[in-house]
Order: sequence, then structure tokens, then C-alpha cells
Amino acid sequence: MACRFLKRSPSWLPVPSCHVSFPVMFSPKLKQWPVEIAFVALYVFLDWASYLSPYEGLNLTPWNPAPALGIVHVIRYGWRGAIPLFVGIAASDIVVRSMPGNWGATLLLSGVLSAGYACLAWMLKRHSPDGRFFAKPADFFRWSIWVVIGSLIIGTAYVSALVAVGLLPLDRWLTGLIRYWVGDSVGIFIAMPLFWCLSDAARRAQFVQRLANWETAVYSLVMLAVLWIVFMVDTTTSYRYFYILFLPLVWAASRQGLIGAVFSVSILQAGLAVAGFHQYLADISLFELQLRAFVIALVGFIIGVAIDEQQRSAAELRQTARLVVAGEMAGALAHEVNQPLTALSAYAAACERLIGHPEKTTQLGEVLQRLSNEVQRLSNVIRRLRDFFRTGATVLEPVPLRDLMRDVCAPFQDQARQSGIGFHIDPLPDVELLLDRLQVEIVFRNLLMNAFEAVTELSRAHQPAHAPEIRILSRLSVKKLTIDVVDNGPGVPEDSLEQVFEPFASTKSSGLGLGLAISRAIAEAHGGSLAIFSRHAPGGRGVCFRLELPLDAGEGGIRE
Amino acid sequence: MSNTVFIVDDDASVRDSLSLLLGLRGYRTILFADAESFLGAYRSDWRGCVLLDLRMQGMDGLALQRTLRERGVTLPVIIVTGHGDVRSAREAFRQFAVDFLEKPVDERHLVAAIEEAFAQQSAELKHLQQTQDFLARMATLTPREKEVLQWVIAGRHNREIAEILDISVRTVEVHKARMMSKLDASSIPQLMRMSLGTLEHRER
Repeated sequence: MACRFLKRSPSWLPVPSCHVSFPVMFSPKLKQWPVEIAFVALYVFLDWASYLSPYEGLNLTPWNPAPALGIVHVIRYGWRGAIPLFVGIAASDIVVRSMPGNWGATLLLSGVLSAGYACLAWMLKRHSPDGRFFAKPADFFRWSIWVVIGSLIIGTAYVSALVAVGLLPLDRWLTGLIRYWVGDSVGIFIAMPLFWCLSDAARRAQFVQRLANWETAVYSLVMLAVLWIVFMVDTTTSYRYFYILFLPLVWAASRQGLIGAVFSVSILQAGLAVAGFHQYLADISLFELQLRAFVIALVGFIIGVAIDEQQRSAAELRQTARLVVAGEMAGALAHEVNQPLTALSAYAAACERLIGHPEKTTQLGEVLQRLSNEVQRLSNVIRRLRDFFRTGATVLEPVPLRDLMRDVCAPFQDQARQSGIGFHIDPLPDVELLLDRLQVEIVFRNLLMNAFEAVTELSRAHQPAHAPEIRILSRLSVKKLTIDVVDNGPGVPEDSLEQVFEPFASTKSSGLGLGLAISRAIAEAHGGSLAIFSRHAPGGRGVCFRLELPLDAGEGGIRE
Repeated sequence: MSNTVFIVDDDASVRDSLSLLLGLRGYRTILFADAESFLGAYRSDWRGCVLLDLRMQGMDGLALQRTLRERGVTLPVIIVTGHGDVRSAREAFRQFAVDFLEKPVDERHLVAAIEEAFAQQSAELKHLQQTQDFLARMATLTPREKEVLQWVIAGRHNREIAEILDISVRTVEVHKARMMSKLDASSIPQLMRMSLGTLEHRER
């Protein structure tokens, strides 16, 4: 075992695999001291805050979250993290419990506990080397089982040691073990996800981002209100209304996934700790309440993990849909390239026939001219397609809508002036969207190009019934931004509306027939949509392209 | 009307280049930008073959091919496509396409396909001519001669025919000789072949 551990130790130091900013905290030894000291202080504080209704005045409490902090610390910093863990446990024993035994007993007991927690941390890390303890339901259950079994083993060793140093009578061994087991496994189970979410910068950012909305405030308030009712309004000791806590918890978990569940369970635990601290609770009831809280937390975590999993699958599905579209693109590419290639090879063959005849030199020159036109056309096709393929990987960045539209629309405004087309952009909302700027620019360019070609057809008609006009309208709702690009061109027959999104469906003689297919693929890759509607307004017919983009585009997957 | 290659393709450059190349090789070409204009212009005395693109705005190549067959147009069809798949190739051949070429198309393959289409068409026309001649000659037969022909084709001997029609064997022989000469048939097997072709043609 030791040998295997030694072999594994390099990868176990979480340097490259965990996307974390370690160098600052890790390499210069001196700089790590503040972290270690902060850890010990936090450990002692947690032990103190959770030292409620202890059994026999020992470290056997209904809820013991401090080990969770220790385990996360060891997972992050490796075996060396076990030393501050030992110091923290010993300091707690001295500060919080005034050292129930002698120095030797404290050192022995702290040694047993810190070794046990470090081993548990190592086992957890071994089974999820990438630190994804809660990514999938299966990971979550494996983690839970390790926590429960691990704390039973550590508890057996610890309670036996208590008996051995004479702090616990032998006949209380079993009761002590059960107390320890429940307190520790519940404490680790409830607190470790929170500490894990907060243990590095990337996860902290994700935690804050996920919680930063009004729903968090509302369910937190509901939770505090329920806790108040449970402990202050209902003065019986049976805590009949405790189950109402399921409500805000399920809400949090189903809306914000595991992070919501972790956060709301933490509020619940903090509430219980405060209630216990102020002696609102009978001696035994905290233990019972803790078991109920455990069940609530378990349900919340399971829902949270399932929700995360479901959101991830949805994001993966979107990616797959994108690949399918890319397959269609390949077909379209073949078509678009083959047309000019066919012409090229036929012109070339014609040149071969003309080349031997001096009297046909003029014709040869003409054919060569047409041949080079085809080369030009081919390179246009490639350039237009490159737009899409170059931006194949979606890179999301916050982009102010107004900036984006100003850049896209500028060339079209010139074109509109020159050709007498009315081009109106209704005032745009001042929002910032998370999107791939290049790709979304392509979408707007395609939509505008399409609209301009449609109304140009109109103005070519001998007696246009109305002035050609293009309009951009936008609407903002809570969750999405809707932008309509409306033209009053000849329109599209009702039964072939959807076909415009198929590759090669262009109705234009020189069109690529790809622009709208690409645009829809891009919109969907951003979690939005692109639809087409017929217009039957008094101002004429024409079509309306409706682009919808989620305001939190990218959340839940694209970036992964 | 002499053999002509009718090019139906929605891409102007493809039409122009193919027509130039085929023109230099001595073929007459007529160009159409879509299926509808081809159908609108079609005349039954057109001879040659159709070079047909699959993917076109409006009616696509396969639909045009189907429509032509439904209207009894016997112009052979060569499919030229930039994105052929098994499904469309199968469909094209089920509709008796001469060939299924992929863009960019090789000059030699194209010319070979056109020659094959022309050959196929002249065979078809020759057959059609023979059938029509035969039918015209049939029309000159008297009712009695037609009866005799029917029984000869059914494989009966003169004596049997005489019995069935209740006339003398000698009279049957006279009718038969006159019928054979009117139909320009030198032997019974040849007569059989000619009449079989007619039946076959009528079934199609």
C-alpha cells in the first residue's frame, strides 16, 4: 500500500490535472504559511461552532463538519496537508474542549483522527482523480458510500482509542461509535460539497455565478422563515413543520443543480447550529433533527446532481445537433465546389481542343476569360465557407449588442443609401450578450444579405408596388433577446418556408444556399433559435427572420 | 431533326462550358435553366439525349425524368450531378437513365455516355419504325387474312386452320401467301418476330 502510494504521489499532488492556480500557493513554502494558519483557525472555529450536545463531553457531536474541511484540505494539498490537519484537531481539543485527557491522550487521539481523515481523503482522490466527486449520479453515490464507510472505520479506531486512554467507559463503546459515525458522516456529507465548491478559484467563480440571481434570495428567505417557524413559533419539541424545509431545498436544487442544493443545505445547517447554540433545542433533539437534516440534504443533493447531469446532456445534445448540421455543410460544400469545378474542367477541355487551331485564337481567349471567372467564383465560395469553418470552435465572450449591430450594419447602410432601400434599425436594448462574436456577426450578415437581395428583386420589378424596405426590430424579455429582420420583398411561398434553412435551398441564381443553414446552426449552438415567418402586412409581403438568443447563452455547457 | 444534346442545369457556367465543349466536339446543344422551361419547349420530334442536373430549383432532375417517362418521351436521359447518392442513382436507373455521372464530369465519360444514349435512341427509333411499318402493313390485310395470321402465329398448321375456318387447305395457303407478301415476311419465324415486337411495344 505504502509503495503504491509513493508511486502515485506525484500525480496526487494536484498540479496539472486540477485546473487551479497552484503555483502561488504551492511552490514557495513560506507563502503557504498563511494558508495553513487560516486552515487551522477555520478548523477550530468549525469545531467550536458545531460542538453542540456532545456525548460525555467528548468530540462526539451530532454534526461534525470540521473533518470535511480537513479532507478537502488534504485532497487539495496532498499528504502534507495532513500536518495542519493534525494541528487543527489537537488545537480544537485544547481550545474547544479544554483537553479532556492529558497531553499524551490528545496527541494520540488527534493522530488517529488526522491519519484516518487523510486516508479517507486519499481514497476519495484515488477514485476520482479529476476531482469530479459530484459530476454524475454514480460518482455521487460512490462518494457517499466512501464517506459513510470511511467514517465508520475512523470512528471504530477513534472510539477504541478513547476507551484505551480511559476517557470513555468500555460499556459505552457502541453508543459512542454510533454517535461518532452519524455525526461525522453527516458532517462530512453535508459540508464537504460546500468546502469543495469553495476550495479553488474556478469552482468559487462557478459557485457565485450560479447563485447570483434573485431566486437564491427568495428561497433563502423562505428557508429562514421555515426555520423560524420550526424553532420559534412551534414551541413543541417535536418540530412538526421541519419537513416544510423540503420545499425551498427542492426548489434550489431543481433550479440551480448541486450548487443550489449545497447552498441551501448550508443555510439549513447554519440555522440548526444557531438554534443549537442558543439552547433552543433539547439535548437529544439535535441528534434527531440532524438525521432529518441529513435526509433532506441527501434528497437535495440527488436532485441537484440529476439536474446537473440533465443540463450537461442537453448541452451535449446541442453539440451533436451542431455536428449533424456540419455534416450537411460538408454536402453543401461539395455541391458548391463541384459546380465551378465542372465548368472549369469543361472549359479546360475546350481549350485543349482550341489550342491547335491558330484561327480560333480569339475564341480561345474568350474561353480562358470565362475559365478565370470560374476560378474567381470558386475562390468566393471558399471564402464564404471559410467564415463558418474558421469559427468552428465557439468562443463565448460578453459582447454589447449595440456594438455588434453597429459593426454589422455599417456596410449595409451604405448599400441602402446607394440603392434607395429604406433600412431602419429600431432602438436596440442596451444589453451585453455572452456569444461568439464572429459567428453571430455571420448570422446578421447573412440575414441582412438575404433581406437586401429580396428587396432588390422587388425594385427590379417594372412597377414596384411599394418602396423597398428593411427593418430590424428587437425585444428583450427576462430570458432572451428577440431580433426580427423584416423585409418587404417578394416573400417565400408558405409551404417552402422551412426549406430555406436546408443547404442549397437558395432561390437565387448566384446564391450559396448555405447562409441560412449556417445561421441556424450558429443560433442553435448558442442555445437560441432562428425561424422564418411570412408577412402579410399592408406595406407588402416579404418575410421576417426571427433570431432568439438566450441572455445567459452558454450557461450549462457550451463552454465545457 | 438531327441529334441534339439538351442540357438542363440551373448553373449558368456549367451550361455554358458544357455546351462550348460539346459544340467543339461537333454536337448540337440546346440549353435550359430549369425543368419547367424544358417541358414547356419540348417537341416530339426532338432527337438526341438530355443531360440532366439532379438538384435544381423548382422541379428537380428526377422529377423531370419521371414526368418525361409519364408523357411517353423516349429521349434518353443522362444524369449529371454534383452530389449523387445511392438513393438518387437507384431512382435514376429505375427510370432507365443511360448513365449517372458525377460533377466535375470527365470529358471522355461524358462523350461515351452521349454516344451510348444516341445509339440507344437510334435502336429504339429503328424498332419503333419497324413496329409502325408492321402495323401499317397489318392494316392492309383483309379480315380473312388477319384470321389466318392469328392462327399461324398461334402455331397451327394449314390443315388445322382450314378445319377451324371451315375452308379448303388450298384457300388457306392462298390467304397465307398473300398475307406473308403484304407483311413483307419471308418466313414464319420472321413473321413471329415481327408480330412479337409489336405486342411487346404495345405492352410498354
